[in-house]
Amino acid sequence: MLVFDQLKRSDPQLQLLTIMLCAGLAVLFAGLWWVQIVNAGSYQESLEVQAFRSVRLPAVRGKILDRTGVVLADNHPSYNINLYLEELSRAFKKEYTRSRPRSVVTNDLPFWKDWLGYTTVTTQYTRLKEEAAQAVTRNARYRVASGVVSQVADLLQTTLTLDYTNFYRHYETRLSLPYPVVSNLSLLHLARFTEQPLTALGLELEVQPIRVYPYGTTAAHVLGYLRKDDSSAEGEEAFFWYRMPDYRGLVGIEGGYDSQLRGRAGAKSVQVNNLGYRQTENIWSAVEPGQNVVLTLDLKIQQAAEASVRKLLGPDAHAAVVVMDVESGDLLTLASSPSTDPNNFIRGFSLAERERWHDETLGVQKNRATAEQYQAGSIFKTIVALAALENGLNPQEIYRVAENPAIPTKGIIYVGRQAFHDTVPPGDYDLRRAIVRSSNAYFITNGLRPGVFERVVELGRRLHLAERIGLPLMQDAAGHFPKPDQVRNWPAGNTANICIGQGVMDVTPLQMAVMAGALANGGKVLWPRLVDRLEAPEATSLEAPTVFPKNRIRDELGVSERNLNIVREAMLAETEDMVEGTGKKVHVDGLRICGKTGTAERKEQGVKRNTTWFISFAPYEKPRYAVVVMVENGDSGGRTCAPIAQDVYLALQNRELLVAPKRLAATPR
Amino acid sequence: MNPIALNESAPRLDRLQITAILGLMIVGVAFIFSATMVNESAASLPFIKQLWFRQIVWYGVGVSLAVTLCLVDYHTLARWSFVAYWGTIFLLLAVPIFGTMRGGARRWFDLGFFSLQPSEFAKLAFILALAHFLSRPVDELRSPLNFWKAMGLLGLPFVLVLKEPDLGSALVFIPSGFAMMLVAGVPRRYLLRLIGIVGVMASLILVDVLFAPPRWQIKLEDYQRQRLLVYFGQDFAPPNATPDEKKRAHRLQQEKSYQGKQALISVGSGGFTGKGWRQGDQTAGGFLPPGAAHTDFIFSVIAEEKGFVGSVMVLTLYAVLLFTGLRMAGQARDRLGKLLAAGVVTLLFSHVFINIGMNIRLMPVTGIPLPLLSYGGSSVIGSLIAMGLLQNVHIYRRGY
Repeated sequence: MLVFDQLKRSDPQLQLLTIMLCAGLAVLFAGLWWVQIVNAGSYQESLEVQAFRSVRLPAVRGKILDRTGVVLADNHPSYNINLYLEELSRAFKKEYTRSRPRSVVTNDLPFWKDWLGYTTVTTQYTRLKEEAAQAVTRNARYRVASGVVSQVADLLQTTLTLDYTNFYRHYETRLSLPYPVVSNLSLLHLARFTEQPLTALGLELEVQPIRVYPYGTTAAHVLGYLRKDDSSAEGEEAFFWYRMPDYRGLVGIEGGYDSQLRGRAGAKSVQVNNLGYRQTENIWSAVEPGQNVVLTLDLKIQQAAEASVRKLLGPDAHAAVVVMDVESGDLLTLASSPSTDPNNFIRGFSLAERERWHDETLGVQKNRATAEQYQAGSIFKTIVALAALENGLNPQEIYRVAENPAIPTKGIIYVGRQAFHDTVPPGDYDLRRAIVRSSNAYFITNGLRPGVFERVVELGRRLHLAERIGLPLMQDAAGHFPKPDQVRNWPAGNTANICIGQGVMDVTPLQMAVMAGALANGGKVLWPRLVDRLEAPEATSLEAPTVFPKNRIRDELGVSERNLNIVREAMLAETEDMVEGTGKKVHVDGLRICGKTGTAERKEQGVKRNTTWFISFAPYEKPRYAVVVMVENGDSGGRTCAPIAQDVYLALQNRELLVAPKRLAATPR
Repeated sequence: MNPIALNESAPRLDRLQITAILGLMIVGVAFIFSATMVNESAASLPFIKQLWFRQIVWYGVGVSLAVTLCLVDYHTLARWSFVAYWGTIFLLLAVPIFGTMRGGARRWFDLGFFSLQPSEFAKLAFILALAHFLSRPVDELRSPLNFWKAMGLLGLPFVLVLKEPDLGSALVFIPSGFAMMLVAGVPRRYLLRLIGIVGVMASLILVDVLFAPPRWQIKLEDYQRQRLLVYFGQDFAPPNATPDEKKRAHRLQQEKSYQGKQALISVGSGGFTGKGWRQGDQTAGGFLPPGAAHTDFIFSVIAEEKGFVGSVMVLTLYAVLLFTGLRMAGQARDRLGKLLAAGVVTLLFSHVFINIGMNIRLMPVTGIPLPLLSYGGSSVIGSLIAMGLLQNVHIYRRGY
């Protein structure tokens, strides 16, 4: 071997030299081992830190559709013109060289250069202090970039200026990302740009989806709204250098199904050079677009309900309308007024809109159909009537309402020493007339009969009053209703109050829709269904959609069909009795509607506040839809709510004609 | 030329060494290509202007000069050694006046097509002259006068190169001179004295730079001071600096330690097998300074792209070069040949050790090229002439 040959030779000095060389090479070998094998990982990390920038890429948000496929929450492309700064880096340098200050100097040349005829006067760059040089560089960069921007402005035939601070904020913090020159191009500008794209200058057109709610305030509470939020979702990479704008749903379907709608954000890494300019890009985690949410809502009915509220009561009316399919539990309408346009959360609020949003008395943020609880009032008499019938009440039995001595035209009843006023005139009432005229005295008397109230409480339990329904809206109230052990020893006055739907009970309009549905469908207490299915965004996807089952029965009322029919007929009479019916304003030609009005009175700090109701279902012959209308501070259930229900039924009737012209809703079988 | 020698069975040239030189030249062209063809503007130059091609030209010039030198017996060359020595000394003296300024140092003559770096040739002339001087009978080396004459031969170019300023190149003179004196048989006490002087001076300078209060510091060039501070990880700012000064000193420190840090990241991130030829992120991203990647930091490029395997291969090629050189010293016909070979080998080794060492932070960053690999006309031609001298010693070795 080469080395040993030399060590064997009897030349001590050369041997020493050889050993020293060997030692030196061994040191280098060990050093390389240390750096490249032992510590390779940490240097790789340093390399990544200085040369790679991770960027979070939000996925396209899923759409929200109504049951017929109309898109209620959509994504529209927004076109931006981006400037890739790395393309300009050479121009920056050139402009810097051009703009560096120069001065003419007279050199004191050495004698021999003088002889050779060198000139002593030359123009040369002035030496600059570091700060001054930096200022020149910055100005040069800005000039180049704003030159490009003005070229864009010329092309678009508009005026654009490059904001110095904005540009440098971007340059210093987000250099590896393109600079947005124009955001949200108009179609005219888009056309002008695409006709002659200035890609040579490092400009590129970028398409970005933005959330749009094409129907504005329609179903706004159900849809919910978004807030800007680009933080990482659970199970996602937590650290990113940069995040592209993203949104998170707060309430409504946008909130309740946020993770499904959001999809999965992707990530790319941008490799940068030593100056921070972008070199290459690599998407290491592809985005998975969010799923579409298909609702059970029917846009036509929803619009009709909202339009009716607006037309009859104005845009600031405090009202809710619920329409439910009594067989499947599908919610066709879930309207709450007043509401705000969810587009405001994307595009920004006007000042007036912002004030409206925060106005407590207006309560724009409340979903009155599901999240607010009200006194039920007379509409609960339907359940009291059922309980009394189940307890053996003869519906033909006459009860005489006593005259109120103070107001001779009105009735009155005393429970113990407590007086309950009646709105009906004194006279003879059977069950039918008591429902049609909504007599308090009749139902208090019958409710206080032994065994009836226990049944009322039991029916309330089976209707799951005071329990949340749990729609995925993040807006849900439970309400109140007495429990069996609470009522055992309580005063008769409380019982009397419950019998007319007041006192210690509160309900939501949605719960009342379920109740009306149970009266209509033979006693089945259904789970209302708002979301039909979650499906892949592309129609071609092989992935099976997640379908939520229809017709989920939560409970049964457990009452006889005979008694249900008695109540239904009384409710039919309420809308069809042209003399006495409180709900006659709901009348729709060719459709027989069972209804019950209600007005719950409540004193709040001395001010009388009404909750007016109209619950109904139709057609009488074979009920399909339950319609519940609630208006705060309305005049009365019959006068305020029934006309809205009428508009809804007209829309439903229209829909029946459109969808299944041969099976008219009103046609008797 | 000895016509009888041509009939000998053994080859006259050392083929193993020539293979190693060829290997290094191929690696050099390949990685200069990789280090310079990083963007379109570099790739769009005509190939005549591209550095890998120019390096081939330098190789060609160097090889022809080396071959020419081999035609003349090294004894004849040695007779002219003092002309060469004083010629380079004259050039070194001229550099401060006529040389061009680059990066704060005056080391080059700009000849238009070629920038001549006299210190590269001064090293060779020094080795030739010292070998000639030391090849006198051993007894004469015992006299102190001759020792101090030898020291003078070493000291003159050392000081001139140091004044350029080029600390790295200047320091390379010391191990070569020392090795030649050792091999020549200069008495041990003189050698120890030499080691002592160098050691004491070096440590004095270090202590002064690192620890002395500013007023007591000897006048070193700023960049030299900074490099030493960076190497020893010392703070730039004096202890009583204002926050503003500290900030500035900190920025300066980052700037000054940048090259070494980036070289280390390049070498380290290469890992075992590297990222592949032309796949180096550090080179492509410009983190390795584009002006230095193909010259002083060519080893970082190789280490990043070919990993530990590649760096060890380069190291092996140099080892072959060095040990064949030592073998030549052992087989030399006379003391002149032996001294010449030992001097060239040590010079080569010093370059390799300092250059690779600075890439892995064993050594402070200095402007020492990696022989035969780094781009640069003077360095390549000088290295090839040195190889020619070695082969020359080999050609006229014992038994021929």
